[in-house]
Amino acid sequence: MHKKIKVMISCMIIVIFILSLGACSQSSSSDKVGKNEIVFWNPFVGPDGKNMQMMVDAYNKTNPKFKVRNISLKEADMYAKIPTVVNSGRNIPDLNIVHAERIKQFVDKDMLIPMDDSLAKYPEIKAENYVKAGWDIGSLDNKRYSVPLDVHSFVMYYNKDLAAKYAPHALDDNIVTFDEIKEAGLKAKKDGIIAAPVTWMKPAFLSVYSQMGGSITSDGTKPTLNTEQAVDTLKLYNGFVKSGITNKDGQDAGQVFKSGKAIFYPEGIWMQNDIKKAKNLNWGMTNFPQLSDDKNKMVNWSSSHQFVLLKNPERNKKKTEGVIKFINWVRDNSLPWAEAGQNPAALATLDNPKYQQMPQSFLIKDTTEQKSLKIFDYKYNGYISEQLDKIGNDTVFGKLDIKKALMDSQKTVEDKIAQDK
Amino acid sequence: MIFIGPHLLLFALFFLIPIFFGVYISFTNWDLVNTPEFVGLDNYKDILLNKESTFYTQLHTGLGNTFKFVAFTVPACIVIPLLLAAALHVKPKGMKIFQAIFYLPVLFSISAVMIIWSMMFNVSFGPINHYFTSSPNWLGTQPYAWIALVVVTVWWGIGGNMIIYQAALNGVSKEYYEAASLDGAGRLQKFFHITLPSIKNQLLFTIVITTIAQFNIYGQALMLTKGGPSSSTTVLLMYIQQNAFGSGQSIAGIASAMAVILGLCIMAVSVIQFFLLRERK
Repeated sequence: MHKKIKVMISCMIIVIFILSLGACSQSSSSDKVGKNEIVFWNPFVGPDGKNMQMMVDAYNKTNPKFKVRNISLKEADMYAKIPTVVNSGRNIPDLNIVHAERIKQFVDKDMLIPMDDSLAKYPEIKAENYVKAGWDIGSLDNKRYSVPLDVHSFVMYYNKDLAAKYAPHALDDNIVTFDEIKEAGLKAKKDGIIAAPVTWMKPAFLSVYSQMGGSITSDGTKPTLNTEQAVDTLKLYNGFVKSGITNKDGQDAGQVFKSGKAIFYPEGIWMQNDIKKAKNLNWGMTNFPQLSDDKNKMVNWSSSHQFVLLKNPERNKKKTEGVIKFINWVRDNSLPWAEAGQNPAALATLDNPKYQQMPQSFLIKDTTEQKSLKIFDYKYNGYISEQLDKIGNDTVFGKLDIKKALMDSQKTVEDKIAQDK
Repeated sequence: MIFIGPHLLLFALFFLIPIFFGVYISFTNWDLVNTPEFVGLDNYKDILLNKESTFYTQLHTGLGNTFKFVAFTVPACIVIPLLLAAALHVKPKGMKIFQAIFYLPVLFSISAVMIIWSMMFNVSFGPINHYFTSSPNWLGTQPYAWIALVVVTVWWGIGGNMIIYQAALNGVSKEYYEAASLDGAGRLQKFFHITLPSIKNQLLFTIVITTIAQFNIYGQALMLTKGGPSSSTTVLLMYIQQNAFGSGQSIAGIASAMAVILGLCIMAVSVIQFFLLRERK
């Protein structure tokens, strides 16, 4: 008798366990989500996530047939999850935001579906209505794989009071050259003020490298990191460090700038809400430092968040239409996104007086500025980024030999690419 | 069978299947998207024998730094908690408070600990440099980066081992000490001849567990030193993570092969420790 009870209990536990496993996988599967719901994945977990949620809520209030469900995931988690869901064919989101640099790789792996047919009904989603850099990236082999949400650039903040004191005319043309920075820095050094803090070296390197005529790939496949221009770029920064006008190794440049001890501070436009927190700081925003005053040669490193449709057999035609309807709505209603510090890719926002007041809008207002926005598009961009993050600060602060670092980086990227058979 | 059924199922689901899958992946070339392509021992040849390959360098740098980390931290993670436990064992005043203070860090998540310590070590406004006349860049130059990593790891992990030693010390019969006193043994002699042999099993357990835990070093190096300066603190798990889930296309096959090698190293070291400590009986 006793034994029987034990057997029965064990059996029950097993059954409950198996059932609960089944329930787990069912409750998270997409068909449970609701047929009239668009599952929307994006990497906005920072403060900008709130703004995206606001936009989604506003859209859902318009009573669309397909409501949007906003799911923000940490960037690394999202990119780790995408291959898994696409591979298994289950729980694939209906709409996704990915970074511009990923698109070539995703198309190459046959993970995205072209939007051309579905876009036919929405003629306003066209090149003329978007910032060129953001729009162009979504077109591959004459097919459109993505629509841009924004274009975010790496620019430069400056302390207005200090700039007036140490670099009175540098900002007249809205271009601060590296020479001007050096001059101002040497003047300010005596007063314990620094000039051009070394910040995130990846975008800084790419921007200067491009100004020097360098490119991260020679033919779209082969990486070109070990070049004279790359050496010169890193040497330029290393020279700044040596002359003692930058932040010291390990010193938090943002902190120095916010406490009013730095004239210039290269950072992304997305950082402005952080800068705003610093009280008594009279700041402005300008282009990333340039080698020359020539506006046509200007380069501002940029990236872009793009709407894409991952391959999903469960997403039918009607739902796809619902998705495009949302993308089209965003085109007209991107102001909250600008308030998060970004530049909306849709030009419709340009006319909004509120947007025109925002510091980052100078990049979009003027067509020459628009042309300066460069997205470093390359199938193996991710490998390059990792290497630059690895060697950037170490070479600039003299802890790593520039030539050797570039040679090793070139080799690493080549070896990683060789694995892509 | 019915009694161990549920456990077996869980064991298979969350342990055996992932392990076998991981080992299988290490024999393939896989980008996480398409079907894995079987390449035999190519990945292992690449990381173990091909001196020209980046992945060979990664394995050697990564494994070297991991071993260094284990060698630096494990002794400290054993000795310091043992000394603290011994100190607390004589029941000083405020013993409960000290016990709580020493144990507290164990409860914090790794991210919280690393954020706090990166502020402590900050070059310009960190409290540590405030008290030093020179101001080294703790997290960006050697040997300071290693010192920082070891200090943080030991601080974070003191409590776990300390609690085990405290329990073990409570279990040592007082009669031994009394007998030793009669024989005229000093404090140190008592510690080495009575305390240590009595808690040998617990010591063995903590040494093995701590070694395995430190082999899996990842969070500290990732968040504190970011693997720098010049890859001198880039541990193997960081390379594995970057190869499999980095910002570029995934190289899961190579990453898996590296993970298998790391697993074998941990196993080998644990077995050696086990035998060395057992032999002395």
